[in-house]
Amino acid sequence: MKPICTSRFDRLIENLSRTAAQRLSRRSFLSHCGTWLVAASAIPLLPVSRQAQASDNPHKPKAAGKFASEFANHAQTTDPTKCNYWRYCSSDGYMCACCGGGPSTCPPGTSPSPTSWVGSCINPDDGKTYLIAYRDCCGQDSCGRCSCLGQEGDMPSYRPQVNNDIVWCFGASSMVYHCSSAGLVGLVE
Amino acid sequence: MTPAIVPSALPGVVAPLTARYGVAMLLWAAASTAQAQNAPATNVPDAITRKTGLHLEPMPRAARLYAENCQGCHGPTGVSVTEIPTLAGRIGYFARTPEGRRYLVQVPNVALNPSSDQDIAELMNWLLNTYSRAELPKDFQPYSTEEVALLRKARIDVAADRRRIVEQLLVLEQIPSADVLATPHSSLY
Repeated sequence: MKPICTSRFDRLIENLSRTAAQRLSRRSFLSHCGTWLVAASAIPLLPVSRQAQASDNPHKPKAAGKFASEFANHAQTTDPTKCNYWRYCSSDGYMCACCGGGPSTCPPGTSPSPTSWVGSCINPDDGKTYLIAYRDCCGQDSCGRCSCLGQEGDMPSYRPQVNNDIVWCFGASSMVYHCSSAGLVGLVE
Repeated sequence: MTPAIVPSALPGVVAPLTARYGVAMLLWAAASTAQAQNAPATNVPDAITRKTGLHLEPMPRAARLYAENCQGCHGPTGVSVTEIPTLAGRIGYFARTPEGRRYLVQVPNVALNPSSDQDIAELMNWLLNTYSRAELPKDFQPYSTEEVALLRKARIDVAADRRRIVEQLLVLEQIPSADVLATPHSSLY
């Protein structure tokens, strides 16, 4: 058959398409498609792919035993919706980053408590210690997402100023706890 | 950033799109590059501070002691909700009499704080000079470790002690009126 297309490239594509249409049945085409789909999904299982992912994975925990803090040894600095986010070393509750807010901001409809308790966490990327204000966001029912339990420096409730089981909504317009934020306060010398 | 990468196998589909939206894509790429250049560099390796460009200076030791032990309730500026006594512009008055000076260290959350005598002395001197320098007596002598060690052993009747000291300051004309050291409830100290 004489090709319809005039451009050389289009003619090549046309020829390929026509040849394929004449030689291959639709069922054959579907079976080939299936094979490729299965093959493609299997690629991430191969060791090469996993190695590449591991070397560039931002959530990859750092080498164990590097810091004095057990939490920091497995912490990451990129995803505040994960419990191993470095600022959550002493945070107990639902993380605001999963509730429509950020790691240091309250979700809409809630207000930050004027009081908080201050802890310190090691940043696994630079190894420095930062002070973190654990401030509860109050005024709505419990968020219920991203329940994390960091207990570094946490003391029993008879030392309430350093206890993270207590709802820290003192002085807020409502004592109803929604989620916990972790704002940066300062860098320790 | 490359605004448009045209896969060679799909020229018929992508080329018209590129032609139509190419200018918009270029503008978007330029804008995002400019935004990346405008964000100031942060010194905190963290997903959020990379966007906000937060820069934290190392904190003096005494400021860290305040942040970890007092700031959660008393606030970063020494002013908080009504339930928490204000420090800023007030505590210096107490240092005007020996009784008041003693009281500042014997307040339970100072005296019973887990920090060492040396840390408490450093914290109190920093606190008075940072938040209430104007109210300090001109001949104010900084607290020494030994003085703190001795003072914090005593257990006082806090609210009654405070009332008596405020009355004394008023009689000695060390405060303009009792209001400058007033608390919203008589049980507060």
